[in-house]
Amino acid sequence: MPILATRNLEYVYPDGTAALDGAEIEIEEGKRIAFVGQNGSGKSTLFLLLNGTLKPMRGEVLFRGMPFKYDSKSLKEIRRRVGIVFQNSDDQIFAPTVYQDVAFGPTNLGFSEDTVLERVNHTLEYVGLAHLKDKPPHHLSGGEKKRVAIAGVIAMEPEVIILDEPLSNLDPVGADEIADMLDELNHFGKTIIISTHDVDLAYGWSDYVYLLSDGRVIGRGTPDQVFGNPELLKGAGLRQPTTLEIYHEIERRGLANRNKAPRNVPELVDALKPPDLMWVRTPPDVEVGDTLNLGVMHGDYALHSPYEAVNAKVVYIHDPGCAIAEMERRGFRVGCIRIYDMAGYTPEKLRKIMHDADIEVVGAMGRKSKNIAEGDGVHLDIVAGVIDRAILMALSGKRCLILTNGGMVEHAIKRISDYVEKSGIAINVDVAGSENCRE
Amino acid sequence: MRNLLDDYALVSRIRYRNVWLKLTIAAFGLLVGVSSTSPATPLFIALSMGFATLFFGKTPLKFYLTVLLIPMGFAIVGSLVILFFFGSGSEVFYFEVFGYRLTANAGGLEMAILVISRTLSGMSCMFFLALSTPVIELFAVLKRSGIPDSVIELSMLMYRYIFVFLEVSMSIKHAQTVRLGYTNLIRSIYSVAMLASTLFIRSYEQGEKLYLAMNSRCYDGKLTLFETKRPIRATEAVLASIYAVAALSLM
Repeated sequence: MPILATRNLEYVYPDGTAALDGAEIEIEEGKRIAFVGQNGSGKSTLFLLLNGTLKPMRGEVLFRGMPFKYDSKSLKEIRRRVGIVFQNSDDQIFAPTVYQDVAFGPTNLGFSEDTVLERVNHTLEYVGLAHLKDKPPHHLSGGEKKRVAIAGVIAMEPEVIILDEPLSNLDPVGADEIADMLDELNHFGKTIIISTHDVDLAYGWSDYVYLLSDGRVIGRGTPDQVFGNPELLKGAGLRQPTTLEIYHEIERRGLANRNKAPRNVPELVDALKPPDLMWVRTPPDVEVGDTLNLGVMHGDYALHSPYEAVNAKVVYIHDPGCAIAEMERRGFRVGCIRIYDMAGYTPEKLRKIMHDADIEVVGAMGRKSKNIAEGDGVHLDIVAGVIDRAILMALSGKRCLILTNGGMVEHAIKRISDYVEKSGIAINVDVAGSENCRE
Repeated sequence: MRNLLDDYALVSRIRYRNVWLKLTIAAFGLLVGVSSTSPATPLFIALSMGFATLFFGKTPLKFYLTVLLIPMGFAIVGSLVILFFFGSGSEVFYFEVFGYRLTANAGGLEMAILVISRTLSGMSCMFFLALSTPVIELFAVLKRSGIPDSVIELSMLMYRYIFVFLEVSMSIKHAQTVRLGYTNLIRSIYSVAMLASTLFIRSYEQGEKLYLAMNSRCYDGKLTLFETKRPIRATEAVLASIYAVAALSLM
């Protein structure tokens, strides 16, 4: 059952303009959803409806199958479960200090002073703002304000977090940090909904995309389905994502070899390899489409790394016993990625691991890990988009260490193994220091 | 860009000390300084408060002197008037301006010195408080002193949005300046009027947005304020008492 859904939603502003005209959406729990559309396509209005702030003129909004009720008690419940972060942080942060602003939500939920204190401190720690808690908001940077705004919402522990244009007006590093934070929240089970007109963000980040135009849902589906359809994009007044555009261009010139459109830079780079064809001698009963295991090759026969396990997919049989096959190579040792769980962190252990494994590139994921590492003078080469960049580094033969903590360890392993599975390029992944932090 | 007392208070080293203690010290100095009849007590208070602000609070000396200069300018002009036109007693000195004889006598001199020293002590007490206690720390104090909640909540919101509107008005002003909005008096008046009306509309809109934002975080009509507990330390209590006794014994 979808966690949030709408049926035939209509909303008309007092001046007669229809902001939403029969919108139907279904949000699956634990997913990352992007609403993409031009300014004025009804995204903001939809969000206010999803959180019960506005009441639809017609149609209904359902939370886990139950239609919204608009009495104050039900509304409170809905707003606790569906948090919303506004586009302009100054509209949202109204308390004189960071602490008081984050405490606002939990206090309204009726928690005791001690519980509120604990929650706020925990949340501020989580978003990496504990050191700013007594500051007034006008002393914060744009990225910090955004983090305060998000903290104010996650302190209420909602199940769904809606963010209106979360990355607009942020500098690139600030934007990457917020994007990482959203990934982290999503990994721990929150359903994240964003609105954006940044097609690159929606394409690379989301699990599911809704295209909005003039208050109507004109397209929906996985990013591949939605952004692979030029007619649809034209109707919504949007352009293709850059990765996809580059991919189509290189594909047209016969330089790309994948059938599946790349979602991010490592996948795009991977698509650049020309098809690797070779004459092979085959056993007599082989048919087109079969895969032959050619064993391990090295030296001149291994193209990308010192040793490669090679499979050959037969594409054409010339004579019996002689065929053209496409090579599928799996490198044995490209670079490697080690993941260090900060739970068992001491500066000495980290230095030892870096030394023993001859680490060349260090990245940190999550605010907390970054703060700890920087506090101890560990030089961080990668602080944003960490997993993608570590993969790129590993592909070019570097040995990487990712510092992270908690459940993000599994998240990172999963992302990397997904890549390995899709690309067929083996990257060594292991967790360093795990014996210190796992029972 | 801007030099606000509050910004200095936020970085003061004694910001996180007990607010009530700081208030008491400031109020004590203010009352004793103003009610003293000799200039010695106010001068002592001014020196102590200045020392506390600069040495304990680490407020930059240059900034401190600049802000102190503003009230002192008024005080000095006022005392000059007192010096020549008030008081009685033996003549101290005189000079002639256009044949008119300006005389300063002993009573006037004494009074002028007293006025200056009282002003100095009063101002240094106020600056001690203003440069060590940001406005945000005072809301909890206001609440404890029984001021109605709605007044405090309004002032909290006002405090927050002063800075938002300060920024908005600065950017509007820049936008007007780059399009030659302030080239002559007439244009300037016109531009300021536009700025004011735009700011009014913006604040109205901001109010609406604020209500939306608060509502979506389950606002139920009241803001709660927690006072952070910061017990008075022994050394602080001892220092403050020594200071109080010294000031009183000079009376």
